[in-house]
Amino acid sequence: MKNKILVYVEIFNNEIEDVVKEIISKVKDSFSDIEISGACIISDEINDSIKNELCELGLDNIYFLKNEKFIDFDVVNYANALKSIIDNYVPNILLIGATDYGRELAPRLASKLNIGLTADCTDVSVDENNTFLATRPTYGGKMMAVIASKSSPAFATIRPGAFKLNDYTKNTTKFIDLSQESLCFDTNIEFINKEFKYIKEDLSACEIIFSGGVGLKTKENFDKLKELAQKFDVKIAASRAAVELGWADQSLQVGQTGQSVKPKLYVAFGISGAMQHLVGITNSDKVIAVNTDENAPIMSFADFAIKADAIQLITDWLNN
Amino acid sequence: MTYKIVVCVKQVPDTQDIKWTESNTIQREGLESIINPYDFAAIQLAKNIKFLNTDSEIHVVSMGPLQACEALKDAVAYGCDYAYLLSDKKFSCSDTLATAYTLSEFIKNIIPDYSIVICGQQAVDGDTAQTPSSLAEKLNISQLTDIKALKALDDNCSSWIKETTKTYEEIKVSGRCLIATNIKDVELKSDINGYIKAQNCKINILKASDINTDETRIGLKGSPTFVKKAFAPDLTRETITMNDMTTAEISKFIEDKISKCRSQYEE
Repeated sequence: MKNKILVYVEIFNNEIEDVVKEIISKVKDSFSDIEISGACIISDEINDSIKNELCELGLDNIYFLKNEKFIDFDVVNYANALKSIIDNYVPNILLIGATDYGRELAPRLASKLNIGLTADCTDVSVDENNTFLATRPTYGGKMMAVIASKSSPAFATIRPGAFKLNDYTKNTTKFIDLSQESLCFDTNIEFINKEFKYIKEDLSACEIIFSGGVGLKTKENFDKLKELAQKFDVKIAASRAAVELGWADQSLQVGQTGQSVKPKLYVAFGISGAMQHLVGITNSDKVIAVNTDENAPIMSFADFAIKADAIQLITDWLNN
Repeated sequence: MTYKIVVCVKQVPDTQDIKWTESNTIQREGLESIINPYDFAAIQLAKNIKFLNTDSEIHVVSMGPLQACEALKDAVAYGCDYAYLLSDKKFSCSDTLATAYTLSEFIKNIIPDYSIVICGQQAVDGDTAQTPSSLAEKLNISQLTDIKALKALDDNCSSWIKETTKTYEEIKVSGRCLIATNIKDVELKSDINGYIKAQNCKINILKASDINTDETRIGLKGSPTFVKKAFAPDLTRETITMNDMTTAEISKFIEDKISKCRSQYEE
């Protein structure tokens, strides 16, 4: 049976979210005999630049709904809109990127359709019976759970950064306008103000990361690591514990509750390596860990486990 | 009219020792339970509303085995007024859809004149963040998620500050809605009155039949998703351990790795 897959094409601040491309890469790479379509919700005409980008996604079809009310992310209207696309296309697999808005929209939609949903998945596959399986970390990454659903369509949200981007064959995309069928209401919600954060640290696509944990002991030491990262023109990141201590902004947090990363080189300074952190860096090509505690979990996880005082190392390195 | 706030809390296992049942769900009986950290913030937001509108009642509800009464008593000590526990074997093994349905039937049947529902956005055991949105849909009300703070409250309107990883937003809502907060680890304090109230309070224990649930939509039967397999992640690599290096040697080693990465990149 041919799998009909529908991917929600989230456009945030006039850009297609990277996770959309990651999902399409994964699906084209791992699933055979598929038709893959996108669902797109827009507030304005599709201009040429967005249209080009949408074509670049290599989807078979793009179902789109346009209404000026979609300028605000009112999840009630977005869920209704997606439902009308689903009713039209009738996919057997439905995938949404687990962005902030995606994580808000997907459960509302699942509840509306009375279907199961698996959140924040790091792997998807179909078994020999063509049952869709979604894998997600649970209990702070201590366990991985493979989840199936008795309802249709199978539905999962996908963690940004979980899948690598592949080159895949492009095909001609058919655009299908369903705007007429979308019902948009004035709800009891009024959007007063929205500011975009300036620091949009997208770590999911960068090549080299220096990351600091509580082993650095003080914010001053973390700042030194930041200085070192700047010196080598690499990205800085932090463990959850370091973020919770206020050493770094939450946007720099790596791990299950932060960002998943997949750099060529990940260097962990004074990070013990809680399971939720390791889950977030497992797609890194090479991991170097610097830690005084040879029994820290990260020391048996890393490719290179260097037993040393990270603070001393950073200080000496900066002074050279 | 009294402003009725419904706060949904979940008890999560306070242990590193996770046991799984034969049906691949979590063995909850016999585990020490604590209130999910995000739900503390939900209780705090409810208290903030009550501070601004003293004619408010905080109704706290949880779903789970009888031992969860302790967590609910804590919630009362922290300032909730009425506590309910939805406890029935028929509820066990509920996924987020069945949980949201069950909570919605509780609210519709027991507190039909509610003004607002507040939830912690996610629970630290599952991290799915699905139940609040799913519940809002079942109640057919608006939802605000990623809420950091209550900004203002008057008669029928409330304004909220939302913070996602990419935005700060201010949103105003008139009438009913569901609030999900992404603040974790609010510290709640109880005073002597709270303790006395908790000691004397009666937890209302409700079964499936008390809240008119459709039996095909609760518990295992009403849960479309199921855990097919659970396993500990195998993340190990072939580790090369390096001891007794000077800081100069280490920095040289890492710099070499950086250069190697970059030369690969340029090829």
